[in-house]
Amino acid sequence: MLVWFLPVFLVALMIGLPVFFALLVSPGMLLWLNGQERDMALLYRNVYNGMDSFPLMALPFFMLAGELMNRGGITTRLVEFSQALMGHLRGGLAHVNILSSILFAGLSGSAVADTSALGSTLIPAMEKNGYTRKFAAAVTAASSVIGPIIPPSGIMIIYAYVMGESVAALFLAGIVPGIMVGVGLMLVVRLMADKYDLPKAERIVSKNQELTQLEHWVSFVLLRLNFAGVLLGVYAGIGAAVQYSSGADIAVNNWILMAVFLVIAHFVLMAIRPRVSADFRVVCKKAVAPLQAPIIILGGILVGVFTPTEASAVAVAYALLISFFVLRSMKLSDLPSIFTKSALGSSTVLLLVGAAVAFKTVVSLSHAPEQLAGFILNLSDDPLILLFLINLLLFIVGMFLDAGPAIIILGPILGPIFVELGVHPVHFAIIMSVNLTVGLATPPMGLVLFVASSVSGEKVETISKAILPFLAVEVLVIFLITYVPAISMTVPRLTGFVQ
Amino acid sequence: MLTALSRLLVILMTVNSFILRIGRFVAWVSLALMVLVILLQVVFRYIFNNALPWPDEAARFLMLWMTGLIAPSAYRWGGFVAIDMVPMALPKRVGLALMLVLLLLSAAVLFVAIGFGWNHTMGFGGNFDSSSLKIPLDLIGLESIKVKLRYMYMSLLVGVTLLLVINVELVIRTILELLDPEISLPGDDQVIVAGAD
Repeated sequence: MLVWFLPVFLVALMIGLPVFFALLVSPGMLLWLNGQERDMALLYRNVYNGMDSFPLMALPFFMLAGELMNRGGITTRLVEFSQALMGHLRGGLAHVNILSSILFAGLSGSAVADTSALGSTLIPAMEKNGYTRKFAAAVTAASSVIGPIIPPSGIMIIYAYVMGESVAALFLAGIVPGIMVGVGLMLVVRLMADKYDLPKAERIVSKNQELTQLEHWVSFVLLRLNFAGVLLGVYAGIGAAVQYSSGADIAVNNWILMAVFLVIAHFVLMAIRPRVSADFRVVCKKAVAPLQAPIIILGGILVGVFTPTEASAVAVAYALLISFFVLRSMKLSDLPSIFTKSALGSSTVLLLVGAAVAFKTVVSLSHAPEQLAGFILNLSDDPLILLFLINLLLFIVGMFLDAGPAIIILGPILGPIFVELGVHPVHFAIIMSVNLTVGLATPPMGLVLFVASSVSGEKVETISKAILPFLAVEVLVIFLITYVPAISMTVPRLTGFVQ
Repeated sequence: MLTALSRLLVILMTVNSFILRIGRFVAWVSLALMVLVILLQVVFRYIFNNALPWPDEAARFLMLWMTGLIAPSAYRWGGFVAIDMVPMALPKRVGLALMLVLLLLSAAVLFVAIGFGWNHTMGFGGNFDSSSLKIPLDLIGLESIKVKLRYMYMSLLVGVTLLLVINVELVIRTILELLDPEISLPGDDQVIVAGAD
């Protein structure tokens, strides 16, 4: 009897019942028909227990941090910085759009936020520069899917929680695939630039910008600290390797080393200084404080200072700090609407997660996973072919459903089957996240397409056509990630978050 | 009948708008407090090397209430994810009829949930004390009172109850549209759309 709940669930979903209710109504109804009233109470309890979670709190916090950074004027700085780096290429602003998405992805974990933030500044700018509006909207939508792949990432927090994986491991595993998507998109732009003769742009948009004294010093200190930190990291890595191979103990006091590296960093930066224009320097300095946020988040998690939840709270504090004191671009009266929006967005996801946990208990009570696994394994016992098929399935699901709900529904059902087949859980998580995130930009029901349409005023159908070449590359990246586990697994392995 | 229903809808919407506005206010303040509480914990743990017992649970308490109080606003504004291709593709009348069925199904879920929620909150389990949360009356010379788990459980009960109230509003709305497709219905004063993906 209980086996019927999956078909019932699918029908309920297809005819348009909100996912939250569909997750509850199908198991609930069958339990009721079975006379298992007691288990229905369990269903309710598990919704509550599913939401009552500390790791899950990272979700509203990262949403809040992204929202704060966006309203605080950080988007414009990132765009100007990207333009200073890539604007002079052919198809310059398209490249800038993609690079900004990569940078923005380090601050926010949401493709929707990415599209609306970058779209509202870049789509008009690209139009003025001579691009068609549909192309501008398509690049924005296609590149925004990098947002939830590069950490922090809302959907990875959800996946990690529902599936009992480590958030940190998933975050680290997402870095390289995210950058790969970005590079792939840039290659498409490069090819199109030849074919359609896409325009170049100025590297510096607004010349002679002023930098406040405080911001000057903040970027001065942060730049040197980060540079020295990187040197220290490289040194520690080499040191560990040498020690491992020769057994010689070459440990030097880290503080002394840091001081030495700080001096080196200072002189290197001073040597670069005369080679670039003053305007370029100002644009770069203005990007330093915003770009410190991903370093704090990831660095904190990597070093083990913060849990992801704490890192997300620190990110909120950092965003508030720089918006109010360094950039001075936010007023206290802006805060209620920003907080309300983040609370609103995360509340629906939290309810969904609760419902998913309840759903999961019934999934395990029924024998549906075994039967489904049997069915899938009957198709083929070659993991490579099964992974291909599963990617196909995920892609189709992604066309119709947002990434978060899709992960909540499919993760508990598909995850265990592939782990059984020998696919690493973290690797499978990345396959699933990247595939379903790309699904956010696929017609007919891509969430990001709708946002891009409302930001640009272009029709969804038109953007859907213009986005196809970019989607082709993203599909290619999905398959690369699927069949080359090293792409996602290397970073978490090297940092020791995955054995 | 039509006018009576429209009048009922207007009254219900006015009351709901008022309640939801309070809910949103409490929710955003809770979110702000959550950030503060976690930051406090970070400071105590890493700077004073002395973790406090209560912030984790307090933050979860706030998050649960935030969700319960603001999710109804999201529901009203269409923030609950659904695949609405079929209702959209159908002829208007049929689509509305399907919407009505879906809303009634949702109402049934919420109605049953309220029953279980009541038992969950008022039942045996809710009587237990929270492990770390208490009202610190000892600061003013009285005995401190431990917070009952009931007050945490209540968040979801309040949430589903408010969702049901909104659901009733949506049902009346759909019935009115079904009866008279040309009817102009009152809209909400402010709509915020937010997604997490």
